[in-house]
Formats: sequence, structure tokens, C-alpha cells
Amino acid sequence: MNPALAALAAITIGGAVLAVAGHDPRAVLLGILVVLLGGPLVADPWPDPVAILVRIAATLLAVRLVAIGLRGEALTGGTRIGWPAEALVAAAAAVVGFGSHGLGAPALGPPEAQATGFALIALAIAPLATGRDTLRLAVGALLLLVGAGSVRIALDAPPSQAEHLVGALLTIAIGGAIAVLATAARAAGGLAAVGAGRPGESRPRPPDAHRPPARRTRAGAGAGAGAGAGAPILEPAPREGRSGGDRGRVGDRPGERPERQ
Amino acid sequence: MTVLPFLLVATIAGTTALLIRGSQRWSTAVAVGGLGGMAVLAAGFGPTTGVRIAGTTLAASDWLRLFALLGSIVGLLLVAVDAATKHEPDVPGIIVLGLGSAVLALALTDPGTAVAAATAGGLAGILVAAPVGAAARAVFVGVRELRALAIAGALAIGATAWIGRPFGELGIAPAVFGLAYLAFALAVAIRFGAIPFHLWAARLADAAPGVALPLLMAWGPAAFAAIALVWIDRSVAPLGLPLDTERSILATIGALSVVLGLVAAWIQDDLEHVVGYTIAADAGFVVLALAGLDPAVWAPSRTWLLVFVVGRSAFAAWVVALHGAFGTRRLLELAGWARRAPVLAVALAVGAVAAVGWPGLVAWQARADLARLALPDVVATLVAWAPLGATAIYARILWIGLQPPGPAVRTGVGERPAWPIRWRHRPMVGVAGLERLLERLAHAFGGVLDQLWALPAAARLNRVPLASIAALVLAGLAFAISGGGFGVSAAAGAVPAIETPTDNGPGFQPVPGPSAGPPASARPTAAPTFTFVPIGGSPASSPGSTGSGPDGSGPSGSAITGD
Repeated sequence: MNPALAALAAITIGGAVLAVAGHDPRAVLLGILVVLLGGPLVADPWPDPVAILVRIAATLLAVRLVAIGLRGEALTGGTRIGWPAEALVAAAAAVVGFGSHGLGAPALGPPEAQATGFALIALAIAPLATGRDTLRLAVGALLLLVGAGSVRIALDAPPSQAEHLVGALLTIAIGGAIAVLATAARAAGGLAAVGAGRPGESRPRPPDAHRPPARRTRAGAGAGAGAGAGAPILEPAPREGRSGGDRGRVGDRPGERPERQ
Repeated sequence: MTVLPFLLVATIAGTTALLIRGSQRWSTAVAVGGLGGMAVLAAGFGPTTGVRIAGTTLAASDWLRLFALLGSIVGLLLVAVDAATKHEPDVPGIIVLGLGSAVLALALTDPGTAVAAATAGGLAGILVAAPVGAAARAVFVGVRELRALAIAGALAIGATAWIGRPFGELGIAPAVFGLAYLAFALAVAIRFGAIPFHLWAARLADAAPGVALPLLMAWGPAAFAAIALVWIDRSVAPLGLPLDTERSILATIGALSVVLGLVAAWIQDDLEHVVGYTIAADAGFVVLALAGLDPAVWAPSRTWLLVFVVGRSAFAAWVVALHGAFGTRRLLELAGWARRAPVLAVALAVGAVAAVGWPGLVAWQARADLARLALPDVVATLVAWAPLGATAIYARILWIGLQPPGPAVRTGVGERPAWPIRWRHRPMVGVAGLERLLERLAHAFGGVLDQLWALPAAARLNRVPLASIAALVLAGLAFAISGGGFGVSAAAGAVPAIETPTDNGPGFQPVPGPSAGPPASARPTAAPTFTFVPIGGSPASSPGSTGSGPDGSGPSGSAITGD
């Protein structure tokens, strides 16, 4: 066992426990940061400095995006069984992963990476299967992907620079996805809003969950009849912001003609 | 030309379009410009060109060129339909970025890296699946999509790592390869939302803009499936292992998706749900391709992928255009739509013919081959003919369109073109002939200028006709691809030959050749000895060669071309 890698693996798993068990968004963010930074580094040989820098930059950007999505949020769902239970689950999975390194065949990576991967995947199962909180579900997805990446490091040849680059893109993408989901959930009533409309819920499911379009059709807006042949077809919805959108443009209303100067 | 310029343009244009999405016109303009540039660059892909970057090769191929070219053209038309109808602010940028990530994934030569790229592209789609301002249930839809993407990505990453190394004695156990094969194939089924993994995909139509559905449910997953097809062709199929159980599971999923997807589409009232379920039905044939485990599956599967993505994009564009015209997607409220939108009626008919086809058509033949290679004869015949049932779906939509117009259609906007200004008649004051001639010329020039100034207003005034024409063009494109146009069949069966510069000047990178024997990982060797061909790579059926090492070394029987 490589003590340095073992320490890194332990820190990464600790971050994952923090991410799934924390109720404070800042704690969850810290956990995500640790997992995204530590996961790719549990490798032997270590990635080259450029790859590490790329990973760090991607992680910071991803965590920043998530932080933007969670800004002002006081509390998240977190775990219901407490962090010690989550830590025990992770530890057990890590032991299994370490002990079964290579899964019955010679592996090309370090056993610590497989321990990390197994622990992260085990921690991801509960949020993914039973999560009712947007952030918790998203953290589960993140842990699953990072865990799979760690298992890949443990089994296969060391990742190339290109793989690290694409891994960085994946990190940014999942950070952005979590940020988008968190922002949308909070706009819709809070991080727990993900429970609304679930199958089996007593309330009837609304027929349409689309965002109201930026431009409404006359028919859709109930603007009444009279839009005959050749009439302008679509009206812009009122837009927030500086410009005021397309309102008042020629061609947006029936019979309107541009004035020649 | 390599794929690198294409990827650079996609990254810059997509990111810029997203960053300035608050300004709809500029965002759309950047996306349109980017997609136009991408189409030009894609047309210039050399089938033998590759570029070494960050320790890996980005390789082009005939099939990848067609995929990128069609993706750019289809994206352009989808953005046009979106701009003419609902105008979702995030859609143009996401279409550009999604296409870029798909092409990146297909150009990579390492399966694990390609899977990560395809998953990253799918994650970008969440921006349109759960937009800020949508109902709470949209968040639920987005979270489900994220979960499906993560599970599919994790399964595929695990599978590629699992048999990407030497196995020693474990290599003789078919279950090892069977599990990896099943995991990757199920990942593809999950990404497509094939039945029974369809719940997240079915709900996607509730929240995601219709114009983004092709990207989320067809183009992105198609890239993922292409990676799986090559990986299976290189790593599993050559072994000749008895994987009957795994193949049966996949064949069942594929056949069920085809049949039940069509049934579900038939009973839907919401047209976006009809699009979603027809995508699930068509994706069933992709799952059948994965179940084939036969070199003969190579060409039809890649033909079908192109037919499928373009055809479903055309249908989705048609639905968005219809929604833009009449403000509803519900069939029961759309009585009489065809009377007020005849161009859309023609587009539906053309798209339907392209989607259903007839025996002998390239698309039909590809479906029949995929079914025959994966299923017993009787079932294969039934599944191959099942798409004929889609005729009833299209006929139902058309029949409703021919009914007397309902309130929504009456108050909606038809396709009759209009012009915002009239030709102004100016009084003639000249007396002499030459004088009057010059005056007439000046009047004509002024009149033309008047009309030119009115073009933007005319475009706004004719949004429905323009959207209808874009939908018709897409339907025509789908018909052409179904018929084997654009060299689909040749590209689907193309053999790659990659030319890459070396440190010593122009040279050639050894390319992993078509494997005919077991991959080296099945043998008790000390190093990973088989790897991946480019996604646009060659079938495993080509004889006389074996795989090669990850750095391109080792035995190789591939064709290598050069100056």
C-alpha cells in the first residue's frame, strides 16, 4: 500500500461523506471540492503537472458554478441516517474495493483508486435511489461519475493527458448541470421542489412543465380571433431586462406598416 | 482537414451563444454563424486525416464527416425553426455545444475518453431540460435526466476499463466479457430511453423545448451508441463467445422498444410526446444492433443511426413549427391544421415516407438487417415490419388536420405569406422621353430599396411560412438520407486510414486494423494489447489483421495511406 495514496483516498472519501451527509450547502460544496480534486489524484503514477493544473482549474470552475446556484440557500436535505452511518458505508465499500483490486485479474492501477471508487459509488446509491432534494440527487450523480472514473484508474492504464482534459470538461459540465438544477429548483420553490409532481403523488400532474415561451402565439396567448391570412403571426411576450425585447417592432401586429422616412 | 477547427468553432460559438443568450438575436446569430462554419468545416474533413493532441489522436472518417455535416445542417434548420417560433434562449448555444461534444466523442480513439466526452455533452443538455422559470416538475425531469446520464456514463466507463487490460486466466471466462458487454449496451439503452428505461425520456418532452428534443434524445445518444458499436465490434465480437443470455436481454429490449414505442406514440395526444416515443421506437433498432454481435451489423447500424437522427429531427421541427403556428401541441385542439398550413402537411407526408419507407429503401433495409441479425426469423420479420404501424400515427395526425378547423386553428396563424409594405406608385412629372426613362429608373430603384428595407419586417411577418419551409427542408433531407443520399451507405461501411504528422515530418500513424481474432486481452499477456479504432472505424470482419497497442504499435493490418 502506498501511504500517500491511501491518505489521498481517505481524504477523498471523507469529502464524499461530507457531500452526501452535510445539511449546510457550504459543507456540501467543500465535500464536492475535495472529491473533484482528490479523485483523479489517487493514481499511480501521478498525472503530470499540466494535467493536475487542468483538473484543478476545472474543479474550481465547477464548484464556483455550484456555489452560484446555491447562493443564499440556508439548508439542504442531507442524509437522514447521519454522517457516521454514511462513513461506515463508505469505509466498508472501500475495504471491499481495496481487497478485490483488479476484480480477479491483474490491474494496471493502484488499489487505493479502486477503494476510492467503490466508496464513492456506494455513497452515491442512496441519494440516487431515494433522494428528494435536488442537490442531494445531483451530488449522488457526481459521486457516481467520479467513482466510475476512479475504478477506471484502478483497472486500466494511467489516463493520458487527453483523458484528463476530457475529464476536466466532464467536471465542468456536471458542475454546470448541478448549478442549473439548483437554480431552477430554487426558482420553483426550493431545493426540495424536485418532489413535486413525482409519480404517486396525490396532486394531479400538471400537463405541461415548459418554461413560458419568450414569444407567445396569438392563439396560445388567447389574443382572440382575427389573425387572418397574411396577418402577423406571433407576439413577443413582455421581457424583463434592459432592451424591452421585440415589442413594438414592425410586423408584430396585424396591419402594421413601417413608415418610410 | 482535421476535426480540430470544427471543434474550436463549436466551442467558441456555443459558449458565446450561451453567454449572450439574454440577447436573443445576437445569440441566434452567433449560433447560426457557428453552425454554418461547422458545416463548411465538416464538409472538408479528410477521411484519412488525424491529429495528435494531448497524447491521443483525433481521427476523422467518412462516417464522422457525414455525421458532423448533417448535424450542422440539421442544427442550423432547428435553430431557424426555433427563431421563427418560440425562441428558447438556451437552445441555439446548446445545439452547437451538443453537436461539438458528439463530434469530439466520435473523433477520439480511446473508448473511455470518448464515453466521458459524450456524457459531458449530454450534461450540457440539462440547461434546456430544466430551465430557470419552468415549473417545479421540470426540475424533477432534469434531475431524472442527470441520474440517467450519470448511470449510463458510469456503466460505460466501467465496462471500457473492465476489458481494456490483460485478464490472465480470467480472460477465458465469458461472463467477464458478457458483463462488460451488457453494461455498455444497457448504458446505451438508458441514454436513448429505450423501453423499459423510458420514464425519464418520456417526461423530458414535458419540460425540454421541442426543438431541443432531437439533441437530447437522438444526436447525443447516437454518438454514445456509435462508441458502443465500435467498442463491441473491436472488443467483444471478435471473441466469438457464447453470450446468448446477454444478447437475448438486449434483443428483447430492442424489440420491445420498437413495438411498444410505436404503440405509446399512437395513444399520445401531445405531439412532443409522440416525437419522444417515436424516438424510443427507432432507438430500439440501435439496441438491436448492439445485440447483433456480428460483423455484418456494422454498416446497417451506422446507416440507421444517420437515418434515425435526421428523421426524428425533422419530425421534431415539424411539431415545433405547428406549435408556433397554432399555439398548441395537443392533437385534439389541432383539428383543421392542414387546411391552414399546407406546407406543413406536405412536410409531414414527406417525413412520414422517410420514417416508414418501403422494402428496398436503404432505411428499410438497414432496419431489416438489424432485426434479422439479432432476432429469430419470425420475430425479426414482425419487428422489421412494425414501423409500418407508424403510418397510422402519421395518418391520424393528417386526418385530424383535414377536419374542419377548431378554435385554436381558427385563431392561430396560417402559412399564407404577407408583405409589410406595398409598392408605392410615384407620380411621373417628366415630359421628355429620356427624362421619363430616368425617372422610371429612379422610381424602380427607390421601390426596390423600399422592399429591401422591409425585409426584416417581412421575416417577422412570415414566421410561420419560414418555419414551415425549414421543416419541409428537414423532411426532404430526412427523405434523402433514408434513400441513401449523401453517400450514407458508402460512409457507413468505410474503412479508415488515418494520416497523422509525426515529429519527423509528414508521416503516418499506424492504425489499429480490423480485428479478426480474439483481442489480446483475452490472452494471458502482460500488457494491454488491444485498443480502439476511430469511431468511424472499420468493421471487424476484415480478415488478416489483429489489434494493436494503445499507442498504435503492435500488429496491425490496417490500411495506411499517404502521399
